[in-house]
Amino acid sequence: MVGPHHAIKWLVFALCLTIGSAHAADPEALDREIDQLKSDVAALSQTLFDIEESVLHPADTQVAVFLALKDKEGLELDSIELYLDGSPVSSHLYTDRERESLRQGGIQRLYIGNLPHGGHQLKAVLTARSANERFIRREVRHQFRKRPGESRIQMTLDASAPDYEPVVSFQEWK
Amino acid sequence: MQGLNNRMTFKRWALAVLFSAAGVSAYAQTGHPELDRGLAQFALGAGNGALALRYTQNAETEQDYLLRAKALLKTGGQSEAVRLLDALIEGDYYRGEAAFLKSSLVSNDQEERRRLLQIAAQKGHGEVKQQASYQLAEMARTNGRPDTAGKILASMDTGYWAALGYMNIAADYGSRDLNPSRALISLRVAMAMAEEDPNKERGEALKAQLLVRAGLLAYESEDYDKAITFLEKVRLDSYSTPQGLYLHGLALTGKGKHRDAMQSWHRAKKYPLAFSGVAESWLGTGRGYDLTGYLGQAGEAFLSASATYESERVTLRKLADMVREKGAYAALLADAGETRAEWFLADSRMLTQPRSAYLLRFMENAGNQAAVHRVKELDSMLARMERQEHTLKVLTSVLDERLANSASDNKPALGHVRTEIESISARLIAARQNATPGSSSVETIRHLAQTLKDLETSTDRFDKRLHKRDQRLRVLHQKASDALEKLDHRKRKATDVLRKANAALDQKFLAYIDQESERMLVALERAEQQIAHLYEYLALQNLGGGSQ
Repeated sequence: MVGPHHAIKWLVFALCLTIGSAHAADPEALDREIDQLKSDVAALSQTLFDIEESVLHPADTQVAVFLALKDKEGLELDSIELYLDGSPVSSHLYTDRERESLRQGGIQRLYIGNLPHGGHQLKAVLTARSANERFIRREVRHQFRKRPGESRIQMTLDASAPDYEPVVSFQEWK
Repeated sequence: MQGLNNRMTFKRWALAVLFSAAGVSAYAQTGHPELDRGLAQFALGAGNGALALRYTQNAETEQDYLLRAKALLKTGGQSEAVRLLDALIEGDYYRGEAAFLKSSLVSNDQEERRRLLQIAAQKGHGEVKQQASYQLAEMARTNGRPDTAGKILASMDTGYWAALGYMNIAADYGSRDLNPSRALISLRVAMAMAEEDPNKERGEALKAQLLVRAGLLAYESEDYDKAITFLEKVRLDSYSTPQGLYLHGLALTGKGKHRDAMQSWHRAKKYPLAFSGVAESWLGTGRGYDLTGYLGQAGEAFLSASATYESERVTLRKLADMVREKGAYAALLADAGETRAEWFLADSRMLTQPRSAYLLRFMENAGNQAAVHRVKELDSMLARMERQEHTLKVLTSVLDERLANSASDNKPALGHVRTEIESISARLIAARQNATPGSSSVETIRHLAQTLKDLETSTDRFDKRLHKRDQRLRVLHQKASDALEKLDHRKRKATDVLRKANAALDQKFLAYIDQESERMLVALERAEQQIAHLYEYLALQNLGGGSQ
């Protein structure tokens, strides 16, 4: 038989526990919840990427431009601007993390869009600091033909010693 | 033979993972493994784990699996990451890095952690190898085996991690030995190691910290000249500068150079009171005047110190109010435009602003760093979800519009295109016959014919794609609606977790403010005691003068 006083004590105790748990979050439990959320958000991101690409960039007219570094130390990229047939389509200012990522062999997708079939011109304007502390601004042009199916153009930037003059080569992934 | 078996096990297992992941997305990859790898590498380096996951869905090589494991760790997929890391530890190329990554996930199992760190130290390269060796040395040191720790450190390359190891050993010697020689030798070794750190900024910051420690040890053993030599080398823009200046003043006082000491303390007083040694420097100035016989100035200096501590207590009270009102994260980081959790990357601006200074001191504690990191992570996660929601809504409306327009409306237009292609083809054939062989117009005509051919192919494909269009749009629409529903649920959950994380951070920060207020109160009481002593002395002197 539980007396009324005893019951009230229990209620107060339970209330204290509830209040306590609302205030002091267990860091490990929080980390677990955050991990679960991160995983859910990453899964949602994948879904969104898929929908976006299939709605916005139909495969037949799709063109993507990528950038990679050949010489990892020759240049420190500041920015890059892309023009397709004279119209600016993309520009990017580099953070330290992005530069480091490119140095480690990363390839950046600079642009994805749609173009009609036929001949086109890609122009890239890049600004960088070379390993011999020179500020460099260069324009490079590449003529290409848009064929049916996805087109992927990779620009590879090289700047070797001793003059660290940037050289951009273009490669089309078939 | 064993290696071959391992490789086969890895490949079989890898195929199983590949199979299970294959159904996730039809658009996941570019179809070129080398390009996918590069894209995943860039996404990961730029902090976009979700994108890196996307490009490693059909991972083939060990490098791909390592990238995927890292992306999974960034995006909360720990259990799958562990499975991948286990396979990589048994693999050929990334045993060290995989073992090191996994060692951070088994902090509760010391034996397993040691085993993994040993693999990382033996098989890893560069920073991974050094960091793993440092952690092994730390395990040995904290388990009471300094000799083992020393042996591990001796086998390491010069640089940041070896320097940290020697610094910790010096701290042990410093607290155990009566004579500071062993500790000072360790610190000198650590300084030499820190100088070799390729990351100059990090190396310099550590060197400043080492110099202050060496200065303190020398001062405590009353070797003032040695202390001064160490402390004069501390850079003026480092995090350890205020403490270094205070100790420099103390060492000069030890040599009886009170005026020089006061100069050092004057410089230390320019830093916010949050930094170690600053509050003491305010008192030191008064004491310096006192010892040089300028009692009036000493009184003024103590009064000024007392007023400064009072004013700092008001600042701390306001800071606490602000934290209670807005939350610690908003008040300290977001409002100050400072969302980096890396306190050690402080610039000179951070060193001179009181609010930032308190934040930096708060962030010295690993638990506090984790608390801030949780809030920051959830905050950016919610912001990303907001953007995703917006994009999904736009895409849903685009799909609605497209579904509203019947696909068959385009059929007559397509017929027209076909007729045009035929007509232009005929004209091109005629033009080719008339063109002079070898002239530039032949090449132009060839290009035009190619484009026309491509257009024809696309028109043929278009018919087939048109057939499936509505069905495909409906599937996409359903996918977008499901994603929106899930997003709504996740947003509510993230908001709830953010509230808890904010509450935990606020609690920690308010406790820290209390502690700082207490420190200011103690300094205030000391200043008042000094004032009282001074007045008492002056009064006695006056009495003595009067009686003569």
